[in-house]
Formats: sequence, C-alpha cells, structure tokens
Amino acid sequence: MSKIWIVLKNEFMRRVRSKWFIFTTLLGPLALIAFFVVIGVVAVSAMEGGERTIAVIDETGVLLPELEASSDEQYRFVDPGLAPDSVRSAVLAGVYDGYLVLPATLLDGEGEAVYYSAEGGGASVFRSEIAQRVRSAVEKQRLLRRNVPPEVLDILKERVPIRMVKLTEEGETAGDTGAYIVVGFIMGFLIYLAMLIYGSVVMQGVIEEKLSRVVEIIVSSVRPFQLLMGKVLGIGAMGLVQMLVWAALIMAGTFFSGTILSLFLDPERLNLPSDASQEELLAAARFTPPDLSPDVFIWFVLFFLAGYLLYASLFAAIGSAVEQQQDAQGLLLPVMMPIIISIIFIQPVIEAPNSTLAVLLSMIPFFSPIPMVVRVAVSDVPFWQVSLSFLLLAGTFVGAIWVSARIYRVGILMYGKKASLKDLVRWIRYA
Amino acid sequence: MLTLEDVTKRYGDLVAVNRVSFTARPGRILGLLGPNGAGKTSTIRMIAYITVPDEGRVLFDGKPVGPWSQERMGYLPEERGLYKKMKVGEQLVYLAELKGLSRADARKRVRHWLDRFEARDWAGKKTEELSKGMQQKVQFIATILHDPALLILDEPFGGLDPINADLLNDVIMELKGEGRTILFASHRMEQVEQLCDDICLISKGEIVLQGALREVKRQFGRNTILLDFEGDDRFLDELEAEGLVRVNVRSRSHAELRLLDGTPPRLVLEKAMARVREITRFELVEPPMREIFVTVVNRQTQGTEAAGAVAE
Repeated sequence: MSKIWIVLKNEFMRRVRSKWFIFTTLLGPLALIAFFVVIGVVAVSAMEGGERTIAVIDETGVLLPELEASSDEQYRFVDPGLAPDSVRSAVLAGVYDGYLVLPATLLDGEGEAVYYSAEGGGASVFRSEIAQRVRSAVEKQRLLRRNVPPEVLDILKERVPIRMVKLTEEGETAGDTGAYIVVGFIMGFLIYLAMLIYGSVVMQGVIEEKLSRVVEIIVSSVRPFQLLMGKVLGIGAMGLVQMLVWAALIMAGTFFSGTILSLFLDPERLNLPSDASQEELLAAARFTPPDLSPDVFIWFVLFFLAGYLLYASLFAAIGSAVEQQQDAQGLLLPVMMPIIISIIFIQPVIEAPNSTLAVLLSMIPFFSPIPMVVRVAVSDVPFWQVSLSFLLLAGTFVGAIWVSARIYRVGILMYGKKASLKDLVRWIRYA
Repeated sequence: MLTLEDVTKRYGDLVAVNRVSFTARPGRILGLLGPNGAGKTSTIRMIAYITVPDEGRVLFDGKPVGPWSQERMGYLPEERGLYKKMKVGEQLVYLAELKGLSRADARKRVRHWLDRFEARDWAGKKTEELSKGMQQKVQFIATILHDPALLILDEPFGGLDPINADLLNDVIMELKGEGRTILFASHRMEQVEQLCDDICLISKGEIVLQGALREVKRQFGRNTILLDFEGDDRFLDELEAEGLVRVNVRSRSHAELRLLDGTPPRLVLEKAMARVREITRFELVEPPMREIFVTVVNRQTQGTEAAGAVAE
C-alpha cells in the first residue's frame, strides 16, 4: 500500500508541476467559454444572415402585397416586374438573392411554392422563415375568400408564449430547463474529456516508461500492480484537481451567468425601456440561473472517478502492449468505441432523459458515465437507478483493473514486438 | 547467499529457463554468461522477483524471494532508462523511496553517492540533459543507493570511458569487499576474467558450465599459445593445414593458437623460428574465457542437433 502511495505521489507531483497542467487548467474554462461563444455567434448570424431581397413571381395576384407588407430588415419581398426567364438571370447575376414562384393553385390548397436561389435551400432558420411567411399569406387569403371577419384573423395571429420549468420531487424549481441542458451538456462533456484525455495521459505515461526502459528498474522495487495503481490513481488525482478548479470556475460562472447574459441582451428587442433593470431583462428573456442540488455534483464526481478509473486501467493495458503511441491505434479502437457512442448519444439523452434508450445507456457500465451524469443534471433520476448504475460501473472497474494488471505485467517487459489483441488475451492467462 | 533450485520458466511453448540451479555467495562475484537469448534476462528477472518461476525456487538467505528481497537488492538492467524529464536528484530520491528508504535518508545518500561519482552538480539537471556516460553513472548510483546485499549488474561498463570504467571497477570491488553478493552479466569476456570469482554459463535455457573461474580454466588445460612476432605469418596457415593447431585469434603480428591432439608446443615454436624474422613472445596459457565460451556453446548446439537427429 505504501508503495502505491509513493508512486501516486510522484506521478501527481510530477504532472501537477508540468507546464501542460498549468496551461490546460487555466485555459480550459476559457476554451469552454470560447466554444459556447462560437456556437452563439453562429446561431445568431444564421438567424440574421444579412438582408435578403427576394423576387416574387406571383401567379395568384394577391399574395405579393401580403409578402411585401411582411418585409422587414432581414427579408425584403419585391416585384421584379420581369418575365420569369429574366428573373432567373437576374438572380444568377446577383441582383436578387433568390426568387419565389407562387402558382395560382396555391390558393386552392394545391401545388407548391418554389424558392430558387444560387445557394440552394440555405440554413433551416431561413427555410422555416420563408415557409412561415408564405403559409400565413396563403392562410390569410384563403380565410379572406371565405369571408372570415378580421377579428377572427387577429385571434389566429396571436402567439402564446411557452415556458419550460423543471419539476422535481421537492417541487418545481425556478430554473429554466435551458440552463439545465447547458449544465448537463458541460458535465457530460467533461466526463468525456476525463475518460479520453486523462486515459491517454495514463497510456502515454506507460509507453514512456516502457520506451525508456525505466519500468524494468521500477518493477524490481514494486509489484507491477502497485505501479499500475499508483500511476492510475496519481493521474486521477491530477484530473480531479483540474476538474475541481474548473468546477469552481463554472459554479462561479453559473452564479454570475445572469449578469453575463444581461450584457448580451438588448432591451429594445424585448420591448423594455432601455433603462430596464437586470432582473426585468432576465425575466423578459425568460432566463433564470439553474438551481442545482449538491447531489448532481456528488454524482458527477463519483461517475467521473469510476469512469476514469475504468478507462484508465484499459488504456494502461494497451500502453503496456505497444512500443510507440502510433502502434496503439488498432488496440485503442475497441476501447474508444463505447466512449464515442455515449458522446454521440448525448443529444437524444438530453432531449428525452427518461426514454428507454437513455435509461438503458446509463445502466450499461462501459457507456454509463456520460448519459447518467447528463440525466442527473437535466432530470430527476430515481435513486435506485443512479446507485445501481454506479455499482455496476464500480464492479466493472474492479474486473477491468484485474485484467489490465495481468496484461500490463507481461506487456511492460515485452520489447520490440507489436502485440495483437490475441496476444493480450494470451498474456492474461500467463502465471 | 542466493540459491536457485531447479528453476524453470516457460513463455507459452517456449522454455526460456530449464531446471537451472546455482548458488552465488557473499563476497564473491558470479559471472552470468551466455549467448543472446540464452535465458539470462529471464533468469535475472526471476531473481529480481519481477517474474516468478513456473517450477523451482529462488531463495535469498534461505527464504523465497519477494518484496522483502527486492528492498535488499539492486538491479542494473542491460536495457537502461531513467525518467527523462525528471531531475537527477528527485529521480534518485524517488527510486530510493521505492526501495523502502525514508525521504530524508534517501536525500543524504543521494548526496553522498553523487559526490563519490564526482557528479554533485547534476542533482538539479534533467536526465535528458546528461550525456550517455553520465546517465550511466546516475543509473549505477540508483542501483546501490539503498545499500543492497545483492547486486545484479548487467553490462555495467557499457558506454563508459576508461576513467569512469576504472572508477566503477573500484566501487564494485569495494562492494565485494564489504561482503555483498554480486551477479555480473556480460558479453565482454576480458571483464569477466578480470572481475569474476565464479562463472555460470547458460545456453538455450540450460546451464552448460559452472564453477570457480580458476577451476573451470584449469579443466580446459594449458593448451593455448600466445605468440607475438615480426615477419612472414604464412607458417600459421601451414600449421593449421597440417591439423596441428586451430587459430583462434590472428592479427598482423599476434596469434592465439589452440594445440590440437597433443601437438607439442615446441613444434609450433620451431616452425615459427624457421619462418619469422623475430619472436617477441611465446607463452603457453590456459584458454581465455572467450575461447571456453565459444567451445562450450558450440559443443552444446551441436550436441542438441545430434540428439535431435537421433530422435528423428
């Protein structure tokens, strides 16, 4: 035990003092913020996308005025006053961004409106915007034809705001579900990084020791299992410190998220006076900072540790079997698959955290860390599910470390040979 | 005292070490010899408790080796390595801690040995900044830092210049004088002759020759001639063609000859005197270790081939 502790201490200290660690610890949150800013900017610019001028070839004779009336700073509908062929060349020449053909039958509920442009369909935001405007113009004309009184038209135009609130056993919380989704996404992503990056650090460490042959000296002082455990735990401790620093920064971030968000909100858009207070702004934007229970963080740390330990031990086994990093690719694939699959499924899990898929994924040990943490963050997961999932994960870790240690103790002393998956299985059976 | 009793190690179908038994005594240096792939490293790893035998026992001071013996043993592997990015001082302290030393004790000894090897200024340097020879010294310090009773040195002189080799030689002889058990593995036979008290020659996983170095050499008899001369060396070809001698080593003015089938030494001397301009040395000696090595290993290889032929 004391030997594991000596190795752990050495691994931890050596890495915590490295430039890599200091750099990533400080820059990690910045990268995360940059990531979300980029997403935000992309989303906003897709929504704005500059002004578009759209020529309308209106065969109905009544839709064009409606569309012209709906023109705003983003979409301008105009009558080109040209023959269809000339409109086509005008679009290609860049006079218009595109042209819309509205057949006469549209008003009878038949045929389809067609939008032609040099760039094709464009972003989905644009597409739904056009579709919605054409639809409401057609709707209005058809209703008018049936002599529907204008008051009814006004009723149809009305919009009903909707607000999402998370329901828990303690009652409904104030937070908007959007914020929980962000937190869930961040946590799932951090677990993903932990398993992948810290796992690779373990693998690199093993390869480095084997390549420099220092491992032969170490195992003449400690058992290979002690070296493996010390290394995995030491790097895990490093990861935990890094995560805690990040968590502290993120918590501070969510605490101040309202303040930060209000900097980006334009009072005029929300129909508020320009001197509106922060609370008013946030309320109008329907944003409230998430109110996370400590359980979420406890489960996060537990699943982070168990997930990391499981994968780190497997990564170590792979590292022991190869001479260089490049040789590891083939062996890495089967180990990486579950991690990659679980990050791919993060979206469906966030959207339906209690679906069969989400529950199943969050129970199967090799997949469970990411989906379970996401579920815990965005919904109220029954205690038996979380704890069962955790026990299964921990049990799998114990099995994995046993198998890995058996591969490791043979692999670290095998020089100059590229091992296959079959070799690894054979090594497990050695005395 | 280190004792191996009928030790066998298999890797799959390959028998790396086959029923090997020998004893290494305190205050003596045992040379562990053998061609590449003979099973030396496999044997050493079992002594170091890095691996365990499939059959047989490895005993140190009468008890099976284990973590307890690892703390009393220093191992300098042939394939050497240190943590490149770690500072020399920290690295040595870490390795000593793994051997069970307290941090303070480790620090004190690191200082002492760095001084002894005239390497005081290296403590703060990263290992990768050192030359190969310097790294070699650091590695040797790591091997003896914890005052081990058993030392396993695999090619300890590799990469050292003559001055540092002498320094290392002195330290090894000192350690021997203090009554430690030393295992010395090397392919450099002149070093083996210089250092070892006993030898153990392994080939194809089996011991083919063992005993005190002097005894072993005596067994092979005084049948080797060392000859230094000036002038025409064609007489050597004639002697060999007549089947009187075998030429082991030959250069422009030196030859090492093995007398075959009781060829009298004076016959060689007479032939040489008749043909060369001057003779500066003529000496009848026991065969050098290199010669014994080659003879024994070849005999075993042919023997197993013959046995294989009979079996077929």
